[in-house]
Amino acid sequence: MTATAVLAHGLGGSADLPIPFTYAVVGAAWTLTATFAVVVLAWRTARFDPDTPGRPLPRWVTAAVDAPVTRWLVGAAGLIFTAWVAVAAVTGPQDSGNALPGVFYVLLWVGLVALSLLLGPVWRVLSPVRTLARLLRITRGRGYPRRLGYWPAAAGLFAFVWLELASPDPGSLTAVKVWLLIYLLVTLTGAVVVGPRWCAHADPFEVYSMIASRCAPWRRNADGRIAIGNPFHHLLSLPVRPGTVTVLAVLLGSTAFDSFSALPAWRNLVDTHTTGGWDATALKTAGLLVFVVTVAASFSLAAAATGGVDREGRRALPGLMAHSLIPIVIGYAFAHYLTYLVEKGQQTFHALIGSPDAPVYYLLSMHPSVLASIKVGFVLLGHVAGVIAAHDRALRVLPKGHQMTGQLAMMLVMVGYTFTGLYLLFGG
Amino acid sequence: MRKQITTLVVLTAATLAGAGCSDPVEQPAAQTGAPAITAAPTLSDQQAPPQRVVIDVTIADGKVTPVNQQMQAAVRQPIIIRVTSDTDDELHVHASPEHTFTVKPGPLQSFQFEVEVPGKVDVELHRLHRIVATITVQ
Repeated sequence: MTATAVLAHGLGGSADLPIPFTYAVVGAAWTLTATFAVVVLAWRTARFDPDTPGRPLPRWVTAAVDAPVTRWLVGAAGLIFTAWVAVAAVTGPQDSGNALPGVFYVLLWVGLVALSLLLGPVWRVLSPVRTLARLLRITRGRGYPRRLGYWPAAAGLFAFVWLELASPDPGSLTAVKVWLLIYLLVTLTGAVVVGPRWCAHADPFEVYSMIASRCAPWRRNADGRIAIGNPFHHLLSLPVRPGTVTVLAVLLGSTAFDSFSALPAWRNLVDTHTTGGWDATALKTAGLLVFVVTVAASFSLAAAATGGVDREGRRALPGLMAHSLIPIVIGYAFAHYLTYLVEKGQQTFHALIGSPDAPVYYLLSMHPSVLASIKVGFVLLGHVAGVIAAHDRALRVLPKGHQMTGQLAMMLVMVGYTFTGLYLLFGG
Repeated sequence: MRKQITTLVVLTAATLAGAGCSDPVEQPAAQTGAPAITAAPTLSDQQAPPQRVVIDVTIADGKVTPVNQQMQAAVRQPIIIRVTSDTDDELHVHASPEHTFTVKPGPLQSFQFEVEVPGKVDVELHRLHRIVATITVQ
C-alpha cells in the first residue's frame, strides 16, 4: 500500500490550473450585474409553481421507463457493476493502479450528479441496495421517523467528504473499502428495518442524486407522465424536511474547502501545527466543519432576515428558500470536478476493464483557457439560476411590503458565495 | 418566461465570450525568485537545452526544507529535484502521468522529469507526508 497517492482526492495526478485573474474579475462583474438586474428589473409577482405541468412526452416513453422489465434490467446492471468493481478492487493491483478510488471519488461522486442532471434521479433505480431490497421483497418496515428528515443523508455525505478531504490517507484502498462496507451495511440494515423509504431519505447518494435531478429538464406530471419542462418549476419540488439545508451546506461547503485546502497558506498552517498524521486530520476536520457551518448559518440567517413575519414563519423560511441553493451547488461542483470526471473518469474506465496503460485524452487540461471559461461559466450559470429562484420564491413567501428588502440579505449572501468560489478557483 | 431564459442565455454566452477573448499575458517560463530555486546557468551554445527548473530539498532529522514552495514551469521543461537526505523515502510527483522516485540516505540525488499536461503538480515526500513544492505548469 506504499504506492497510493495521498493527495488530490486520493487519485493522484495533477490538479487544475488556477483560473486567470481576468477570468475571475469578469466572472465577478457579471455576477454583480446579473444579481442587480434580477432584483431590480425582474418580475414582481411569482411565476414559478411546482404544480405547473410540463409538456408531456408520448405515452410510450413513460410506459417504457416504468416497465418492470426496464427497472429490473437497470437494477441488475447496477448490481453487476457493483460486483465488477468489488472484484476489481480485490483482485486488481493493490496500489494507485486500482480502479476502486476512481469509481468512488469520480464515478460515484461526480458521475452520478452528471447522470442525474441529464436523466433524473437515477440512483433510485441503480442503487444496489434498492435492488437487493426488491429481491428480498422488502416493501415496508417500521416506517421512517419523520423527525430524522435528511439528517442521516447529511451525515453520510459529510462522512464521504471527510474521507476525501480530511482523513489521513484518502487514497488508501483499505479506507475506501471500509467506508463502502459501512455504507452498504447501514443502508441495507435501514432498508430492512425501516423499509425502502430509508433509501430515499437516508442514502447519501440517493439524496444527492435527487437534488441534482431537480435541475433536470425531465419531470413527472401529477398524473405520473414523464414530461419536459422548465427546471425552475421543478426546483420548487425539493422536499423540505429537517436537514435539507444542511445537506446542501455540506455539498457547497466541502467543495469550497477542497479549493481552500490547496492554498499554500492553509497547507503551511497544517504543516507547522501538526505532524501530518491524525492531528492534521483533526485540524482539517475542523476546517471542513467551519466551511459547512458557515454556509448553513449564512444561508439560514439570510433567508430569515426579513420583516413582517412571526417567529414560526421566520423559522420556516430557510427550508422554503433551500431549493435556490441547488443550482449554486451543482454549478460549483461542476466547475470544480469536471476535469476529474472527464480525465480521471477515463483512467478509471481503463482500470476497470483491466488496461490501465491505455492512453488518456486530456481534453480539458490541454486547453487551459477553454477550461477556465467553462469553469467561470458553470459558476455564473449556477449563481444566476440561484438568484432567479430565490427572487421568485421571495415574492411568494415574503409578506407584502417586505418583498424587496427581505431578499436583499439572500442576494448578498449568494454574491458572497460566488465571489468566494471564484476567488478560490483563482487560487487566492 | 421565454424572454427571461433568452436573456439568461445571452448573458451567459456574453460572459463566456468575454472571458474567452481576454487571454492572460503569457507567463515567461521558469520564473525564479524563491530562495530555494536556482536555475542552472544558461549555456552560450545556440543548441543549448531549455532552461531547467531545479528544486533543492534537504531531509534531516525527519524535517524537510523547503515545504510548500510555489514554482512555475513550462510544459515539457526539464524539472530537476536534488535531494540530500539522511533517510529512505519516496518522492511522488503528482503529474499526469505520475512519477515516483526512491530517495536513499545520501547527498545530492538528482531526479529529472518533464510534465506534459498543464496543471498544478504537487511534489510530495510520501513517508513524511510533506509537500515540497507545487509546480504550476502551463
